[in-house]
Amino acid sequence: MLLGRVLPQSHIDELRAAVGADGLITGESQLQTYECDGLTNFRVMPGAVVLPRNTGEVQAVVRICARHKIPFVSRGAGTGLSGGALPAAGGVVISLSRMNHILEVDIANRFVVVEPGVINSHVTQRVAPQGYFYAPDPSSQSVCTIGGNVAENSGGAHCLKYGFTVTHTLGLEVVLPSGELVQLGSATLDAPGYDLTGVFVGSEGTLGVATKVTLRIVKRPEVVQTLLAAFDSPQAAGQTVSDIIAAGMLPSALEIMDALAIEAAEAAVHAHYPVCGGLLLVELDGPSSEVEVLMGQALEICRNNGAREIRVAQSDAERALVWKGRKAAFAAMGRISPNYIVQDGVIPRTALPSVLSEIDRMSSAVNLRVANVFHAGDGNLHPLVLYDRAIEGQEEIALDLSYRILHLCVDSGGSITGEHGVGKEKQQALGYMFSEPDLQTMQLVRCAFDPQNISNPDKVFPRPRLCADVPGPYKPHPLETAGIAEIF
Amino acid sequence: MSTTTTLTQQECLAHLASIAGQEHTQLCGETVAVAAADAQQIAEILRFADANGIAVTAVGGGTKLGWGNPVEAGIRLDMKRMNTVREHPWQDMTCTVEAGCNWAEMQKELAQNRQTVALDPLWPELVTVGGVVAANDGGSLRLKYGGLRDLIIGMTIVLADGTIAKTGGKVVKNVAGYDLHKLMTGSFGTLGVITEVNFRLHPVEVHARTWTATATDAARFAEPLRGLLDSQMTPSAVQVRVREQECALDVRIAALPECMDDHAGRLQKLFGQIELSETSENVWQARQKLFAIEGAVVLKVSLLPSDVCPVTTELQQWAAREDAEISIVAQAPGLMAVALKSSPDAAIALIKHLRGRLHGSGGSVVAQQFPEALRDGLDVWGCDSNALPLMREIKRRFDPNRILNPGRFVGNI
Repeated sequence: MLLGRVLPQSHIDELRAAVGADGLITGESQLQTYECDGLTNFRVMPGAVVLPRNTGEVQAVVRICARHKIPFVSRGAGTGLSGGALPAAGGVVISLSRMNHILEVDIANRFVVVEPGVINSHVTQRVAPQGYFYAPDPSSQSVCTIGGNVAENSGGAHCLKYGFTVTHTLGLEVVLPSGELVQLGSATLDAPGYDLTGVFVGSEGTLGVATKVTLRIVKRPEVVQTLLAAFDSPQAAGQTVSDIIAAGMLPSALEIMDALAIEAAEAAVHAHYPVCGGLLLVELDGPSSEVEVLMGQALEICRNNGAREIRVAQSDAERALVWKGRKAAFAAMGRISPNYIVQDGVIPRTALPSVLSEIDRMSSAVNLRVANVFHAGDGNLHPLVLYDRAIEGQEEIALDLSYRILHLCVDSGGSITGEHGVGKEKQQALGYMFSEPDLQTMQLVRCAFDPQNISNPDKVFPRPRLCADVPGPYKPHPLETAGIAEIF
Repeated sequence: MSTTTTLTQQECLAHLASIAGQEHTQLCGETVAVAAADAQQIAEILRFADANGIAVTAVGGGTKLGWGNPVEAGIRLDMKRMNTVREHPWQDMTCTVEAGCNWAEMQKELAQNRQTVALDPLWPELVTVGGVVAANDGGSLRLKYGGLRDLIIGMTIVLADGTIAKTGGKVVKNVAGYDLHKLMTGSFGTLGVITEVNFRLHPVEVHARTWTATATDAARFAEPLRGLLDSQMTPSAVQVRVREQECALDVRIAALPECMDDHAGRLQKLFGQIELSETSENVWQARQKLFAIEGAVVLKVSLLPSDVCPVTTELQQWAAREDAEISIVAQAPGLMAVALKSSPDAAIALIKHLRGRLHGSGGSVVAQQFPEALRDGLDVWGCDSNALPLMREIKRRFDPNRILNPGRFVGNI
């Protein structure tokens, strides 16, 4: 493993030969662009950045890395929130931004083949005229790339009904960490052999570089209806979510915001939300006749749970405004707190009321505010711990609280991450969720793919050290500050 | 008994009895059968087998033991004692089930809260959860609910060296660590023994109706099938059935009762001149019936959805030419079960032809059931993936002494 922080000139020359002078970045100021992803408090300077144009160039770069045991990380738009695209010191960043072509569109068979640098929302734009869409919708979808989505197994608000990136990934072309090229899966189902596509998706760049992705596309539903219901508390909204699911409904989205999150969203985008303790957003889609009946049932369940005010978005514009407020909730925290930490944990849906109460108790005990924004349908919490760095010692307290909330999720039968990934941020937390034998078994897969441990090394798995990692305070990504991307 | 040591069968029997109890251990010809009570006992059994180089086959209902390449196992690990639904937090719509749990029994228990694992495997009354998962079986519901990879959220497995490992979890949304349960699904018991499976659940389809259209040529269905899949309707299952020269197209729709007439009207509109009539739910047993045709070769053919009707027609024409009998049940997402009765040479020639025909679009042909007479000349899996060396390396890491179903899977893994 390369320990120095600078790549030897001979290696840089080899990389230049592989991707051409215009595909290589080594200047320090340019390299700085790649020193972090959306989790900006981790920063490491890479040795070089390459911008391959095609699979052959990716292979050539990876072969060079394999020959000299140079660590590499592939990178899409760099919007990830767990430090997954953080470079290794002196390592190579394989930026896939120039591999951004949609290679094939097959409407009859409902799939597309894309290069990894294609932006998520561009897939939908391409198939929208035929009435189709690409379902996974992370809120950064206007800038994040399919390659990054594959690495993180990205979700989004609508994965409650439509599933995650893995649900929609049929096949992959992958450059293994040895430089060999393999085809995993295909546009058809159940290829004989191990489901390596299923294993690769969500492996956070540790098993190789995806250079082509075959994605399933979905017919756009006939009707979409969105309702907002105001409750006195997020617990009451949470109970409503459980009741909606228990009634046999599968809404396309079920989102909750608490009073703090509402206050922040209002301040940021004026979504005209009702002032309340817990706001529930329910979106139903499908054939018109069914949505109409189900919406009636959902309204009744909301009323039975004490909803004080219920609104149904009457137009696409109204629906867009509802979602704008929800999507802006993270970034809006800056309006009500100087600093904040974003967390991403999952709990069983029924644990929602008790976990929210416990978070209340924990935050009161340390005199900090925690705003709650969550994908309630699948129990994916995004607690936002608010604090002021200027007050001595408060950042440490906030970090500790945010970490204890994550443990609470695991203790409640859930997970340390529902969509942001483990990356650099939660390596130690993975060790809280899984036992050593579990982690060793995962390592068997890793070692089969990458025996030299050069593909995004020192990520995901706990490092062999005793001190626990702590999640960093939230710092806005430049894309977010510029209003290009929102964090969901 | 297949072993690399000089251990006698009696010694093996005695050791396994000391782990699982004498009443759960017996000799069955060349094999020692042992029924373990829990994952810890399985770990001890596998450690013993691994140390002594004894091949192990885990067995659930035993309905699919003939699938894949033959294995001469020294130990038959019977999963029947591990047969309970461990947890069913119905409001979370998940469950944890032991691998030896009978599929139909599991569904019965889940149905008490009107929930189900939305998958229709072969022989639900006979098979176990572990067997269905290891073979990645599933039927017509794939269209609406996806396959096992979409329904399994976690798993407990025991590796060849006795390591007990958990993967995934009990929540549907979870991206922590590698999804080893996806690797285990469909791995035919070659990487580890599955002891528990966590599923996401769906509501039982209470109000469902099935409509059928008939024709003499599957080509007639191409257009309505394309239209249906391109529509905003959400059928839970669609299949094309062929028996000799008679073809049928079945559509199952589950919906609120007050919306059913609306769906029926839309469906008939899509089918135009082709008449639809409401039929029994029994038509969804068609795939299973193919396996009961005596002496038939049964193939699992994976192909693009748009190839379903053309390939069906080609197979009908082939059967007419070769004087063979052919029955087909093709699920709309592009998974086709084909039963054929012909001369062995003709069957093998057809399999080769089909593999060549579908190769360009990524399709595949696996022989699932066949007369023993065919075995020698038959490549069961037909896997020419360039990822085969990687799969072998995964096998080597998980099971270095090759005790778990050695040779059964693709590339003799």
